[in-house]
Amino acid sequence: MKSKECLAMILAGGQGSRLGILTNKVAKPAVPFGGKYRIIDFTLSNCVHSGIDTVGVLTQYQPLELNTYIGSGQAWDLDRNNGGVFVLPPFMTAIKGEWYKGTANAIFQNIPFVEQFSPKYVVILSGDHIYKMNYAKMLDAHKKSEADATIAVIEVPIDEASRFGIMNTDSELKITEFEEKPENPKSNLASMGVYIFTWDVLKRFLIADENNKNSDNDFGKNIIPEMLKSSKSLYAHRFDGYWKDVGTIQSLYEANMEILEDNAPIHLADNSWKVFSRNPIKQPHYICDTATVRNAYITDGCSIAGRVEHSIIFEGVIIEEGAVVKDSIIFPGARVCKGATLNRTIIGADTTIGEGAHIGASSGEDVMDDFLNTKICSHDISIVGEDLYIAPNVKIGKNAMVDRDVRESNVADIKSKAANTEDSTTSREGAQVYA
Amino acid sequence: MPKTMLGVIFAENPEAKMGELTQYRSLAAVPVGGKYRVIDFILSNMVNSGINSVGVTTRYNYQSLMDHIGTGKPWDLNRKQNGLFILPPYVAKDNVDRVQGGVDVLYGALGFLRKSQQEYALIADCNTVCNMNFTPALERHIETDADITLLYNVEDIPESELEKQILLNLNDASKITDIHVYPTSKKSDNVYMNMFIIRRTLLIQLIEDCVAHGEHVISKDIFIKNLNRLKIFGYQYDGFVHRIDSIPTYFAFNMALLSKENRDKLFSDGNIYTKVKDSVAAKYGKDCVVKNSLVADGCVIEGTVENSILSRGVHVAKGARVTNSVIMQNSDIQENCEVDSVIFDKDVTIRVGKKLMGQATYPVFISKHIVV
Repeated sequence: MKSKECLAMILAGGQGSRLGILTNKVAKPAVPFGGKYRIIDFTLSNCVHSGIDTVGVLTQYQPLELNTYIGSGQAWDLDRNNGGVFVLPPFMTAIKGEWYKGTANAIFQNIPFVEQFSPKYVVILSGDHIYKMNYAKMLDAHKKSEADATIAVIEVPIDEASRFGIMNTDSELKITEFEEKPENPKSNLASMGVYIFTWDVLKRFLIADENNKNSDNDFGKNIIPEMLKSSKSLYAHRFDGYWKDVGTIQSLYEANMEILEDNAPIHLADNSWKVFSRNPIKQPHYICDTATVRNAYITDGCSIAGRVEHSIIFEGVIIEEGAVVKDSIIFPGARVCKGATLNRTIIGADTTIGEGAHIGASSGEDVMDDFLNTKICSHDISIVGEDLYIAPNVKIGKNAMVDRDVRESNVADIKSKAANTEDSTTSREGAQVYA
Repeated sequence: MPKTMLGVIFAENPEAKMGELTQYRSLAAVPVGGKYRVIDFILSNMVNSGINSVGVTTRYNYQSLMDHIGTGKPWDLNRKQNGLFILPPYVAKDNVDRVQGGVDVLYGALGFLRKSQQEYALIADCNTVCNMNFTPALERHIETDADITLLYNVEDIPESELEKQILLNLNDASKITDIHVYPTSKKSDNVYMNMFIIRRTLLIQLIEDCVAHGEHVISKDIFIKNLNRLKIFGYQYDGFVHRIDSIPTYFAFNMALLSKENRDKLFSDGNIYTKVKDSVAAKYGKDCVVKNSLVADGCVIEGTVENSILSRGVHVAKGARVTNSVIMQNSDIQENCEVDSVIFDKDVTIRVGKKLMGQATYPVFISKHIVV
């Protein structure tokens, strides 16, 4: 194999349990975003635009849809003779086989993959952030400072800094201390989960980390602190563009709504840095005589006869006459039947909302709160899972997570099952292997 | 099926009079239906029918066509075995400017036909738009032991538009009894779709024979001449068919897509593939009004759009009004403009406040890159 100066490894195995039902069947990086994309499109497109043509995607949780989506990588021009995109699930060897125990362990297990390309540098990325970033600039900085590791940082409001991994640096941006979610942050430079390592240094630390039985095998918790302890040279690299972690329903919802703003913080239509994705094979969308569309993103294959306001509509969605979709995000293939109303909702793929049904915040008093789930949902956002059926005239309130069909006839016994909803989310959280 | 039939598509059709739409591009590469090019339909139909070896013959101005179909990737025709073959004119010292008909074009494609392994060939014009699976037609061709099977649909074409059509008379056994090439009066409602199925080796023989006798026209010199000698059958197709062979028919086809019934017929069976552009989803502004329109990705609509087809990346600014029109890729309709019954080619700009009105029967056409 011809050697590569730099390759990228994308950590895409996390479940993203805080996204609730949206990641029941897919890994977080495969969650739809912005009308046409999956979250991982941003990272993959960044790689290609940064000149990185060899990318490993580490998958673990519900990888089927993500694997299918990535395919040969042709959507990102990553179907290459030398390099390209490789999906890397955990595997068995003659001696043993195991799941990826943590982010560092996932890379550790794939040392042989990386070594095939004998790279000088490795970029470690996560597949669950929305941003446009040129990693080549960061690599230049990494080379210039002769660092062992360079960590991309973004300034966050100091009162929010305690939610992030915070880098304390000297004036030259050399990292002096790393604090994971500090109570009293000394700086507002938050790690973006974008690392460049000099490979031979990282490899040594990965092996040492693997031999440490007490380690969580995590980059943030173990590798970075260990490197600092060993006086390795770690630098922060400032990024001043838009960067958003879409790990919660609220942040996913917000990030989608932000692109609808007049001066959207992320410029999706920028032709010099297109976000590539698998484009649906569908005809242009149709707006009917009876439709009213205001402030929305709509894409191929949709047919709109109702009212759409301040919403994002993915491919192949049908919105029938008299339906009202407001402040909502509708994933591919869903159908909103006549007279149905949606208010601050995220509707899963291929789900049908029956005639006259209502989901979301409402002034009505006869709303079922059986699906209320304030652990996953907040800010009055309600979510409905994929491939579900919501019967006509069913009314579901705000902050609800609908994870099963709602047929008119079983409205009564939903109440008894409501307790199970809480249980199932808890158990899924326990099953999370690494995020 | 995959190994049994190849496809040949003519990127040009001399009968089609498309004016400035084809000034800088092949007929096959004319943008249509918001995100497609004319050739996407026949090419997708072939692929959906299991044909995996397709030759596309070109004559002139084929740069945009090459750019569009490239290696054939969107149609999964970038293959190690078979795949897409672009067949530019075969120009040798002795045949410069000798192309006078379909026979000569196929003569240029003889190399492709000879080296192919498939038993049958489907020869098609690019501009008959439909969503057809050719497998049943091939099965019938084999079943009837036909030498040639002509595909046709039944359509009541006004006499004024017959001059571009070929009409067929058939007997009860679907055998062709007479063929009328560009007639002046109606001889039948069976309208040839400019697609035929033939045994590959027979096609090669017939072409060589025609060329040796100085004959050029497929319909007259292959079909009519051999009407009594060969078994020529018809195969009736009952789906949606639209021929794009003039500016009015081009306009009418686009407008036909505003009907759900037509869209369902054209898009619900096989996928219609096209080159992907990775545009963002279409963005609708806070004060826009859009009714009865087909809109492609990448559009930004801030004004009013009614009864229109917008291709990828069209911008309709605030206060602008677009009605009954076909607007191609990346055209920019600036603030307070008003356009009605127009066809804008790619990258047209109409500056603030201008008005342009055509007639439904005679739309105003503005060429590529023009700034009004």
